[in-house]
Amino acid sequence: MKRRDFIKSSLVLSAMGSRIPLLAINRTQKQMARTVSWDTDRIVVLIKLNGGNDGMNTIIPVQNSQYYTLRPTIGISQADALTLNYETGLHPSMDALLPYFQNGEMSVIHEAGYDDSNLSHFRSSDIWATGSDADEFWNTGWLGRLFTEIYPDFPNHNEDHPLAIQMGSANLLEFQTTMSNGASMINDPDLMYQLISENYVPGSNDPPPATLGGQELTYVRELDASSFEYSEIIFNSANAGSNSVTYPDTNLGAQLAVTAKLISGGLDTPIYRLYLGGFDTHANQLSDQGTLLQQVSDAVAAFLSDLESQGLSNRVMTLTTSEFGRRSYENGTGGTDHGTSAPIMAFGPQINSNQLFHGTHPDLSAIDNNGNPPIQFDFRQMYSTLLTDWFGLEETVSSSIFQQSFNTIPFIANPLTITGNGAIPKSFTLHPAFPNPFNPATEISFDLPKASSAILRVHDVRGRSIYSNRLGKLPAGTHRFRLLGNDWASGVYYVRVEAAGSSQTTKITLLK
Amino acid sequence: MAETITRRDFLSGKPMGKRTTSVKVDPHWPIPRVAKLYQKLLKQDPPFDHPKFEHVPSPELDVPTRLGRLRTPDWDSINSTHLLKRTLFSPTFTELENAEAGTMAQTINNLLAAQTAPDPPDSWVTEPPPVWDSLTQEEIMEILISYRLRMRTLVKWWGMEMRKDTFSIRENMTLFWHNHFATSAQKVIFPQAMYEQNKILREHCLGDFRELLRRITFGPAMLIWLDSYRSTKNEPNENFGRELLELFTMGVDTYTQTDIIEASRAFTGYLTDGVSTNYSYTLRSGIGNYWNNRHDFESKTFLGQTGTWNGDDIIDIILEQDVVANFICSKIYQWFVYENVDETFVDSMATVFRDSDYNIETTMEYLLTSDHFYDVNFHGAMVRNPMTVLFGTMRQLEMDDVSAEGNYFIRIAEYLGMIPMFPPDVNGWTGYRSWLNSITLPSRKMITTTYLDGYGGLGMIDTTADAVALAQTMTDPNDAEKIVEDFARLFSPFPLSDTLKTQLLDILLDGAAIYDWTISDASAEGRLKNLMRHMMRMPEFQLI
Repeated sequence: MKRRDFIKSSLVLSAMGSRIPLLAINRTQKQMARTVSWDTDRIVVLIKLNGGNDGMNTIIPVQNSQYYTLRPTIGISQADALTLNYETGLHPSMDALLPYFQNGEMSVIHEAGYDDSNLSHFRSSDIWATGSDADEFWNTGWLGRLFTEIYPDFPNHNEDHPLAIQMGSANLLEFQTTMSNGASMINDPDLMYQLISENYVPGSNDPPPATLGGQELTYVRELDASSFEYSEIIFNSANAGSNSVTYPDTNLGAQLAVTAKLISGGLDTPIYRLYLGGFDTHANQLSDQGTLLQQVSDAVAAFLSDLESQGLSNRVMTLTTSEFGRRSYENGTGGTDHGTSAPIMAFGPQINSNQLFHGTHPDLSAIDNNGNPPIQFDFRQMYSTLLTDWFGLEETVSSSIFQQSFNTIPFIANPLTITGNGAIPKSFTLHPAFPNPFNPATEISFDLPKASSAILRVHDVRGRSIYSNRLGKLPAGTHRFRLLGNDWASGVYYVRVEAAGSSQTTKITLLK
Repeated sequence: MAETITRRDFLSGKPMGKRTTSVKVDPHWPIPRVAKLYQKLLKQDPPFDHPKFEHVPSPELDVPTRLGRLRTPDWDSINSTHLLKRTLFSPTFTELENAEAGTMAQTINNLLAAQTAPDPPDSWVTEPPPVWDSLTQEEIMEILISYRLRMRTLVKWWGMEMRKDTFSIRENMTLFWHNHFATSAQKVIFPQAMYEQNKILREHCLGDFRELLRRITFGPAMLIWLDSYRSTKNEPNENFGRELLELFTMGVDTYTQTDIIEASRAFTGYLTDGVSTNYSYTLRSGIGNYWNNRHDFESKTFLGQTGTWNGDDIIDIILEQDVVANFICSKIYQWFVYENVDETFVDSMATVFRDSDYNIETTMEYLLTSDHFYDVNFHGAMVRNPMTVLFGTMRQLEMDDVSAEGNYFIRIAEYLGMIPMFPPDVNGWTGYRSWLNSITLPSRKMITTTYLDGYGGLGMIDTTADAVALAQTMTDPNDAEKIVEDFARLFSPFPLSDTLKTQLLDILLDGAAIYDWTISDASAEGRLKNLMRHMMRMPEFQLI
């Protein structure tokens, strides 16, 4: 068990001077309230190499003569490749990352994919985003379901800080829950804040109609309101944070520079999703992929170095993924066609330096009719490993998210395991809301002595129901919910929580 | 340190940050020297790179299927408004009144009626390709730069067609097919080819799908976009074959990898110089030496049928498959009705499509007269697409062209995530909830504000909406309450509640008594704009 205690965590945050103490305290209390333990001190940065990165020219099987037979013109010779070990080369344009490998801070998970691979970009991207099997069509993302597991009332429970941040693209499916979208998308924090705050108008008080159109209205209202709230927090974090190195002036360089700034500024967001397109190299692969991998390598190296010199690197795990790999043999136009699996690269000082390679080079003697070698890891094994070993969630979380269990991959140096959830309260108690009066949001908290299903309702002074939220079955502990009054008129309201066989009421006042 | 743009630069309209290209151009086409220079040009002046908005699903469809026609008594203000908002880029108030006063049949007839073709943007649309070999580096570069400028001219030209007053579904239908056969100018290089494709889409948008598919397949733009032009019997390229099946006709997982390979062999030997092709529409075949030498004349087995198929044969075999009508009707349904399709309804629509031998107009008429189309659930269940925001709002506000510096509309379209002729990939745009995120939603509000004030972020324009003139087209410009109701009909898909009406009246009147309102008052313009600005910033405005 290696868990930071709450006090230490608060001190670290206050000492950074970038956040008001209240936020640090808040965070501690929230952690106790969480139904599943979740150490947001740790961060994952997932970089998607979109279009299907060619794995064999990234992590090169330099001792395999079949590789050179299958790729007579685009195979990368051992002399050109950077040496990782006797049988493994790294693409020559990735020299900036070589020292990280040599230092045990970069590992390779070979041939990650999924069974019965679909060669369509669109379908395959959806499978990676939802975490479904190849023959299943899910419409919620694995991250969306993760947030639902951790915050059962998500998305109504707006955390102070976004749960995830997306840059460079908008693969929002990954964050999709059945009700809403959990991601906040930014390109530039300053700009985002200016844009949003100047154009925000409070919405109407009308309840949405009970139609599909009404559901869309709720969706746009939520997006409008949460963008407004988050933009300020993100803006503040970006201004409080800094970069200690010069990043390359590239698309991914800009994304990683902002990510480092936000982490350094104290943003309490556990998941960053970055994106770089252009890896669909049907033609002219040698030069196109080289340029792209150079961009990846230079930007990631700058990011790792930035985190290191700011003392943040132990908190961050950085990984690259791709929706599929490419065909083992080259085509007639100096490229490769869609394939199945590709290596995942993972970076950071928390890499398990005792084992830098997981799996082996693709087995080119076992390629299928379409020219693809067998996969060695299911991509959900990597996600499951992040959930259990990196974030310290119980194994049941990942098996419930993916509807099946996956073996973890030992690429993380110090797996977290967490037990305990704070003291169990003695009785069902609804605490006074804070702040109160409020505008537009206030926090409702209550203690549950035992597991119970709960409903939160809001009535106005004339007893009319304004809002209700079935929270589902909650475990024993302290629970906190954020109520948003954006759509309500100023006035007094009653909040009632029904749980543990009884109900309790508290009064709140919205002052606009 | 990566460059981040300052607020001032952003508001004055400078492009955001540095963009890197993900476009792949053939390093040998049309000749290696030109390809090399084109790549250099892309580096100097990076192409558009708006992010691909991937799928954010809408809620499940939970609406009882009704296969009947809309009954005459149900043709009312609400349903006629719904029809116009879903078919025009954005109806004007006068159009809403006319539709309500007329019959459904007449209104739909008018929407579907043939229109005269628009004038081309310039005479260069049919200009033959240069004889590249005879040109110097400088001359080639000059031509390539002019080609890129012409592409921008084309985009603006099309946008203005969308904005025009014509009461017709045509431009929306053309955009639908452009999204369906999504082709990007970035790779096509020749503006003549993009114009030709756009013209075909418009000419056939309500016609015969088989003809449309052939014209698009063998047009220069598609031959370039999906690499058919360099697919030969010795090196067949799977790109077109795959997308033809997956995205243009049958849908994913309805065929095998072998079908893709066999289809790809049939699509070999076609050639284009960027303007003309070696394909003969009358002979239904390629012609000439290149065709004779590079087309694969051997036997192929495609979807269970064996023969010496060429591209036309493959299209014919595809169109024998029942799944095609369902796939196309689903796409139409998603563009005009709702993201998640009602399978039973789409089956009935697909039957109409097949029985009419793929006549698009007949199928559209079936859809637009159906009871299902008007289900109250769908009112407001679609997010306006960026063209509807950008050009439709101009139409709705009855604004003519605005003079703004050259690339104004294209840059805004980039912020909103949809530049016509520059789709993010062959799958087109994603639509619905995916249009909105924490950047695009506020950017939309900045545009509507700019149309009222001349500024508001994202650059300046020098002509603004005439709010008083607009109010004068409405029910009663001297009745403040009516003005609020009429604007709500334009800007919100939902019934106006009394509470919201009061709130909006307060904004319009700004402290004055309701009987003090008169359109001739000097302050009327400003007050109307306060109301409009507010309403166009509300979430309701984004929905149709």
